[in-house]
Amino acid sequence: MVYRGSTEAFVAALTVTLTATLLAMTAARAADEAKYPSWKGQWNAIVAPGLEGRQFKFDPTKSRGLAQEAPLTPEYQKVLADSMAEQANGGLGNYPTARCLPGGMPRMMATQAQEYIITPETTYILLGGEDPLRRIYTDGRDWPKEIDPTYQGYSIGEWSEPDAQGRYTLLSVETRGFKGPRAYDSSGLPLAFDNQSVFKERFHLDKDNPNILHDEITVYDHALTRPWSVDKTFRRNPNPRPKWNEGSCVEGNNQVVIGKENYFFSADGNLMPTRKDQPPPDLKYFKPARK
Amino acid sequence: MMQRGRWRATAAGCRLMAAMVSLIATLSAGAGAAEYPDWRGAWSRFVVRGIGGQPSFDQTKPWGLGQQAPLTAEYQKILEDSIADQAKGGQGNFVEHAQCLPAGMPFMMVATRPLEFVVTPDTTYILVGGSDHYRRIFTDGREWPKEIEPSYSGYSIGHWIDADGSGRFTVLEAETRGPFKGRRAYDASGLPLHYDNESVFKERFHQDKSESNILHDEITVFDHALTRPWSVDKKYVRHPQAHPDWVEAYCTEGSAMVFVGKEAYWVSADGNLMPIRKDQPPPDLKYFKPTPR
Repeated sequence: MVYRGSTEAFVAALTVTLTATLLAMTAARAADEAKYPSWKGQWNAIVAPGLEGRQFKFDPTKSRGLAQEAPLTPEYQKVLADSMAEQANGGLGNYPTARCLPGGMPRMMATQAQEYIITPETTYILLGGEDPLRRIYTDGRDWPKEIDPTYQGYSIGEWSEPDAQGRYTLLSVETRGFKGPRAYDSSGLPLAFDNQSVFKERFHLDKDNPNILHDEITVYDHALTRPWSVDKTFRRNPNPRPKWNEGSCVEGNNQVVIGKENYFFSADGNLMPTRKDQPPPDLKYFKPARK
Repeated sequence: MMQRGRWRATAAGCRLMAAMVSLIATLSAGAGAAEYPDWRGAWSRFVVRGIGGQPSFDQTKPWGLGQQAPLTAEYQKILEDSIADQAKGGQGNFVEHAQCLPAGMPFMMVATRPLEFVVTPDTTYILVGGSDHYRRIFTDGREWPKEIEPSYSGYSIGHWIDADGSGRFTVLEAETRGPFKGRRAYDASGLPLHYDNESVFKERFHQDKSESNILHDEITVFDHALTRPWSVDKKYVRHPQAHPDWVEAYCTEGSAMVFVGKEAYWVSADGNLMPIRKDQPPPDLKYFKPTPR
């Protein structure tokens, strides 16, 4: 009887202890995950009325190119002027994205139909087209000793609760380590060719409207005379099950770059000049056609 | 008597423990993410030693003809023609992906680079990279839409199953339908899917029962280019490092191949067009003014 009683007591105590531990772990994890904001849905970049809707812009309150009034150094102001002049003449200028190369930071943050997936360790921003994805690490890691250069950069973030209400509301992010050349928009508005840009961002929902997301972004770049800050805003699509288009820059691209020359494709699949009197590509590696 | 008493005591304890475990499972379910499996990390393609060549759909067999795909006679010929064209320098039936268009399903699951699975209650994301960006498998209980926008990756709906009654989901079943885009191929040989783009894929994702760092994607293809459904068990191995390197890879970057119409050409080191195969004619330059001699 004593034996039976002590066995039951032991099993009961073990069960209660195990249960308490598991419940505490479950509750802790649930509480931890409940701390993160809900940024679910599809977010579309807000562009000031009257501006070209589908053109990428860094400052969404101004038109692209010169109208951005970027605080460029004289050297990079000339790069922009040259780029626009070359584009007016049919060239690509300082806009490699026309070759379906990634736009990278910060152009990629003007992409429409963004999705934010928040996990404790990483916030993912799913984009599309030639810039599909950003990973913002929030797992407390330090900067790696060596960063493999990329167009999107390496992002480390940190969640905070500035209003101290027990939930995270602000994601602060720093991004470094780039490839290039990169441009802010299709005019070729340049970032420094040394690719040493650093971006600091503050992502948060609008205080008055939870369906508006802000990305306050400041660029530190050697092509600028001072840091350049803009407040990019995105509106949440009210459809809880929005359409996600599979974007591919290559699909439907009607340009090709051969060497340093840019050509169009005609409807019948042949090369066409992009500017008046553009010479054709050199065919010296082909056998002469028989007459 | 003593044995019977011990048995009663243990049985009562087990009942109590089972009740508590059930309570935990219920509470955990309410807690959300605790019921989903931990598939975090970088998952690489499982490589069977001794099988050379390019990555294949059935990882246990070589690519191309070695896959022994149950193709109809018509599509077997397309495969053979593709391989013959590639032997002469062409791209065969892999031409669209060679042009840096997405490869789509099922090639995107070959894991040319490591895959990442991001599991949330509403959607499981498979981050692929390269020309095939990612897959969304919707697990929010939605019905099939009346109209599906054609895509290379298809539209995927899944549901989670607690296959072992542990109170946690262990199996993700997914169905993926088109209409698909493309001419899609299973591998770089051009092993074709039907050009009608009406394939359907049924998948069961789950961790290996004895090795949690192996993930299975049991995938069955229903396609009009096949004489019967084709099933394979694709496996992925989880990288041990906590902070894996995610390589940013772009097909368009550094590619020395350009396409003019349906013809592929090399771009030489000096930036000029070169033939990709013997006696390939140059592109037609009829839209350019004749060069003065």
